[in-house]
Formats: sequence, structure tokens, C-alpha cells
Amino acid sequence: MKSVRLSRRQRLLASCAPIREELINDRSMRAAVFCARASDEFANQQSFDRAVATLVRSVPVPPEIGEWFSSENLVPRSKWKWKMAQNPAVLAVAIALAVIAGVFVLQFLEHRHDFPGAEAARKLLMVAASTRSVLLDPVRTDAGALGDLFFMKHQLEHYDVAPEFADFRTLGCRVFDDEERHRVAQIWVIEKGMQFFLFPAERNAKTGAALEFSGWRYVEQEGWTGVVQERNGVCFMAALHGREKDLAPYVSKTKE
Amino acid sequence: MLGDPRRAQEVFQATLREATLLCANGETPSDPFWFFRDARWRCLETSEHGLRAEDVELQKHDLPPSAPAQIERLDVNQLATWISAAPEPQRTALALFYLDEFNHREILSLAELRIGELSRLLADGRRQLQAWLDATLPQEEAK
Repeated sequence: MKSVRLSRRQRLLASCAPIREELINDRSMRAAVFCARASDEFANQQSFDRAVATLVRSVPVPPEIGEWFSSENLVPRSKWKWKMAQNPAVLAVAIALAVIAGVFVLQFLEHRHDFPGAEAARKLLMVAASTRSVLLDPVRTDAGALGDLFFMKHQLEHYDVAPEFADFRTLGCRVFDDEERHRVAQIWVIEKGMQFFLFPAERNAKTGAALEFSGWRYVEQEGWTGVVQERNGVCFMAALHGREKDLAPYVSKTKE
Repeated sequence: MLGDPRRAQEVFQATLREATLLCANGETPSDPFWFFRDARWRCLETSEHGLRAEDVELQKHDLPPSAPAQIERLDVNQLATWISAAPEPQRTALALFYLDEFNHREILSLAELRIGELSRLLADGRRQLQAWLDATLPQEEAK
């Protein structure tokens, strides 16, 4: 005869083990039944209980009473679910999951319009916010003319201002290295205090090829908005202190 | 609980009438087990007035593997009579347990028992029923 060693609490629970598995919705009861299952004594108890329950089910129910319960569950289960939800552990897990889900949704909403180079563009918007005009070399010309200057003086190929912004008059410009030692050209123009940035497009880590994207893409950071276009492996960004609607008129004809 | 279908039906109807009145007065019971609690108390009240089994120390036998075969031969009215003759709160515990609709926590709540008490009542009930089965339907006969 097989017998197993159970704790006092498990013995008490095993003795009250529900006949139907579906009614075992309690962790301690489940554990007690799991441990007791190996013993012959518990097997006898279970077959005894099942036989009695089968006999009880055969008790004829008068038709006038039976019809009251024909379409209802004998015992409502919703209360137990509500009780479960009131359990501090369940509440804590639910709140944690809700917070995690909220963070994911926020991240998704923030980055759903992302494009290759969006992160670099955001960092440059922060540069734009902190730049003072004295930091730039004074240059008064059309922005479109600075492409030649960058090529001749700094050997920066394809650092060309987009045609939509090429006619704006400049106040100054500079070339500097960003945190990842990428060469960045910065131009300050008179029009609405706008700043232009030219920086290398994001590259595939394995092949080194520039990650292309088409049309103009918007990016926002701390009250500044930029509109970015990639061409020949170089990104051009026009940035201003304002919102997307302030930049939209400049690119509306070409934006995809 | 009562071992008498007629009295059980009266309890059912009284409970139903009470529930209807409460609902009509806008006092729908919030306790999902209100119906069972009310019916149980009515059963206890009803059985106070009828004939009651004498409280005697019943024999207890261990459960053999052949017990289900003995139970199969039992008439359902015999079982109902045996359970209804059990003393309170064992009668409530056995009736609710073998109704096979409640988990142990719900039975504890309905019968107002602690886990140790429920465990003892059920364990004793099984062994007493087995002793009675052995006396009524001996195992040799069951085979």
C-alpha cells in the first residue's frame, strides 16, 4: 500500500479535496492534491467521493424546481473572480503589467514615425536649442551656396542644402564632430531663426551601406521640430523652435 | 439536508419567495451564496420540528478500494436518509460537499466552519458511511 508524507495542513486540505478538478481553483489545495495523489488512501477517498457524488446527481429533481435552474449555473462564479482581483498580489501584478504596457504604448507612439537617423536628428535638435550665434562663423550668403564651401574647406561630399531651403539667407555656419565623431555641418539662417544640419545617414552595421528613406520626415524634441530628408548618404534637417505646422509650408509640395 | 422531498420543496419555495420579496423591495442580496445560506438555515429550522435521529457514536471503517461497488448498489433515498440523519454541522458539510458544486473555501463559508473542522467532519463522515455500507451491503454481497 502506497503512502506519502504530507504536512498537517496538506492532510486537512486533501481530506476536503473537491471531487471535480474544475473546483480546485486554489493553489494550496492544488499542491495538497498533487502530493496526496500518490497515496492509495487518497485514491480510495477520491473513488469513494466520486461514487457518492454520482449517486447524489441521480436524485430526481421535481420538474417545477428543475425549470428554475434549466438555464442558470447553480453557483455563480463571478464573485470569486472579483475576489481574486482584490488580492494584493494580483493587484500588484496587474498594475505592473499596466505600467509596462503603458510604457510600451508610449514608446510605440513616440517612435512610430521613426526613420533611420531619427535618434541623431533628435540629438541635433538639442544642439540647435543650445546653440548661440556667436559659436558660428559669420557667413552671409544663400544657404545653397554652402555645399561648395563644405566640400572645398572640409572635404564633405554631398553636404548640400535641400533645394526647398537653398534660397534662404544665412547668418553663419560651422562644422563639428558629434558624440560618435560624425562630421556635422550646421547653418543658421535669417528665416524664422531656422537652423540647418547636414549629417551622415545611419548605416547598416554589417554592410556599411547608408539606410535610405524617401521624402521628408518630422522629428520633435523639447519644443523644437525638424524635418529631415536623406540624399546620397547624407541627411539634411531644417529645424526651428516650433511645431510641425510651422515647417510644413516649406516642404508641403514635396512631402510624401 | 432533510431526507424528505416534500419538506425540501417547501424550503426551496420559501427561499425563492424571500428572494423575490427582497428583489421587489430593491434589496437584491449582494452575497452570491445568499440562496444557499438562506435555504440551509431554513432546512435547519425545519428539521428542528421533525423527528430527529438519536445521537449515537457510529462505527468507522477505513475506505476499501471496493467501496464504489457498494455505493453503486445503494438506493439514493437510503443515502439521503443517512446524510439527513447526520448531526449538524456534519450534515451540512456532507450535503454541500457531495452536491459537487462548491470548492472547499465556499463550503467553509456556507457552513461557517474552519478547515480543520470541515476536514474532520468529511473524513469521519466517509468512514461512518463506509461502516454503515459494510453493515447494510457487506462486501461479499457487493461482489
